[in-house]
Amino acid sequence: MTSVRPKLKPDTPKAVTAWETATGQNVWMAADGSWTQDVSKVAAFTGDEAEARLADAQTQEGIVTDPYFMEVTETGEITGRETLRETIRAKGPTVSYGEGV
Amino acid sequence: MYRYDEFDARIVSERVSQFRGQVKRRMAGTLLEDEFKPLRLQNGVYLQLHAYMLRVAIPYGQLSGRQLRQLAIVARDYDRNYGHFTTRQNIQFNWVALKDIPDVLAKLAEVEMHAIQTSGNCIRNVTSDHYAGATKDELMDPRPWCEIIRQWSTFHPEFAFLPRKFKIAVTAAEHDRAAIRVHDIGLHIRKRGDVVGFEVHVGGGQGRTPHLATLVNEFVPEAQLLDYLEAIMRVYNRFGRRDNKYKARIKILVSELGEAEFRRLVEEEYAAQRENEKIDLPQAEIDRIHAYFAPPELAAKPDKSSAFEALKAEDTEFARWARINLHPHKTPGYTSITVSLKPIGGLAGDATDAQMMTVAHLAETYAYDDIRVSHAQNLVLPHVALDDLPDVYRELKAAGLHTANESLITDMIVCPGLDYCNLANARSIPVGQAVQEVFADPDYQEDIGRLHINISGCINACGHHHVGHIGILGVDKKGEEFYQITFGGRADEKAAIGDIAGPGLKADDVPGALKRVVDTYRELRADKGELFIETLARLGHDPFKEALYAAG
Repeated sequence: MTSVRPKLKPDTPKAVTAWETATGQNVWMAADGSWTQDVSKVAAFTGDEAEARLADAQTQEGIVTDPYFMEVTETGEITGRETLRETIRAKGPTVSYGEGV
Repeated sequence: MYRYDEFDARIVSERVSQFRGQVKRRMAGTLLEDEFKPLRLQNGVYLQLHAYMLRVAIPYGQLSGRQLRQLAIVARDYDRNYGHFTTRQNIQFNWVALKDIPDVLAKLAEVEMHAIQTSGNCIRNVTSDHYAGATKDELMDPRPWCEIIRQWSTFHPEFAFLPRKFKIAVTAAEHDRAAIRVHDIGLHIRKRGDVVGFEVHVGGGQGRTPHLATLVNEFVPEAQLLDYLEAIMRVYNRFGRRDNKYKARIKILVSELGEAEFRRLVEEEYAAQRENEKIDLPQAEIDRIHAYFAPPELAAKPDKSSAFEALKAEDTEFARWARINLHPHKTPGYTSITVSLKPIGGLAGDATDAQMMTVAHLAETYAYDDIRVSHAQNLVLPHVALDDLPDVYRELKAAGLHTANESLITDMIVCPGLDYCNLANARSIPVGQAVQEVFADPDYQEDIGRLHINISGCINACGHHHVGHIGILGVDKKGEEFYQITFGGRADEKAAIGDIAGPGLKADDVPGALKRVVDTYRELRADKGELFIETLARLGHDPFKEALYAAG
């Protein structure tokens, strides 16, 4: 695993996120199990369902890489200790870069 | 510069084909990430916070115009129109798609470049003085020896799976601009009579356990250098720890064994090596490699240039740039130019594709087709005639590459931090920019003089914070970014690891706190010629700690 993230309790709402294998772009799992690049469509899971969703993601090696749990609220907003990291991951660097400088 | 022979070209091209097949299998899911990861790392491919990152090797930081132009094309066609020059004198592309990387590597191979051994537990890019072959203060050009070490270490079968990554730096100047004391092996070229040899320092490094290298041998004659390096590598490969990633670097081995025992083991291995399989470098081979680095044929010129002097007299901005960004050349009438990649509010080490094209053009037109990347994340044109400086400056200015701050307080080393890096705990770039802003006034910067501020976004120390005169380390405290300040580090011939000043500061408090520290230095310095690091050594850290934590 590239990404070792903090452990979350079973009843903590969590989303499944990963990198798209072919491009490296960040993706999040939607409620229907599909992958989206739109973080607002992320689904929150808990307990056994969350574990099952992550296990499912881990079988999709050619499609996504290194799936892991990210802490979210019940409605799917990024929260918890890694809020800054996950927000940067979702929205991009906090600084202008390239020709935008 | 070194040019590929048919073997080099074939090896690099075959590696591209091999990696193309591996990427194809990865995308098909038949190669799992755990299997693919060591393969991609061997080809310089990381998976970072947002995307894959490709690190391309720039041996000892030297590029031709054609190579830099090709890097610009890669930035334009496969990334987001920019690249990031690193403290290992390499370049990184932050947004490249895995599916495109084989094509990128094929493009690089066209100009004798690759990404091999830019990651993984092997011997990485050998770094050197960015003014090598040009500077007045060097004993000789260290690049031929960097190239010899590069050839020896590339695909060396014994050293492909070391306990951890391994970094070598070489200098031949009294003023160490290659930071050799914080490398796994640091080599300083010396002469005894007519014999060229190497002072060998081993076990330096930064990261979570910073160490300065130990002087293991004062003089290894040049013909025996590879034997001696081989002996060090064997001792490390055999005794270096593999049970704990954080204790696997050679610095830990040297520290745990002690200097005497480490030296004894190396000498024992060296003696066996000399007895059984010595690899004395034939003089003809040493000469063959040196021939690639013959100095450019610089036309004789007077010491002073009227065109240069005239523009200095009429353009104060140019005069300032010339005072700060030029380095004395060994040939009268010439100079080395630092092309600063540290504009105020910019991203340290970043250059757009258009800027890379400009520097490539300048190198080909005015600078004998020679470009260097410095470990401080700037570019250098090592051989420029003083007569050409007005024209070069005008083009640099048009491209936004004329910042006059080489080695000044705004010329910071800054790692990508949490804005890009999967390992970082805190952001580096915005903090660096905010610090730059408070010191942005050119007169103020020049009055402060040489002062290195280095920033890392985690304890891995990619931003070299341990050896900054002022170091800034980003840490995470329960989800909030804090910044720990160190004083007194330096990476040169008087290398030292900085001391932590005290509790970490919030990001917003860092610029003001550093301004108080610097203003305290300006009050306390013996005279304007005394550098911050010298005042700090003379007075101790207390007055500066007091200023750091004074109410803002």
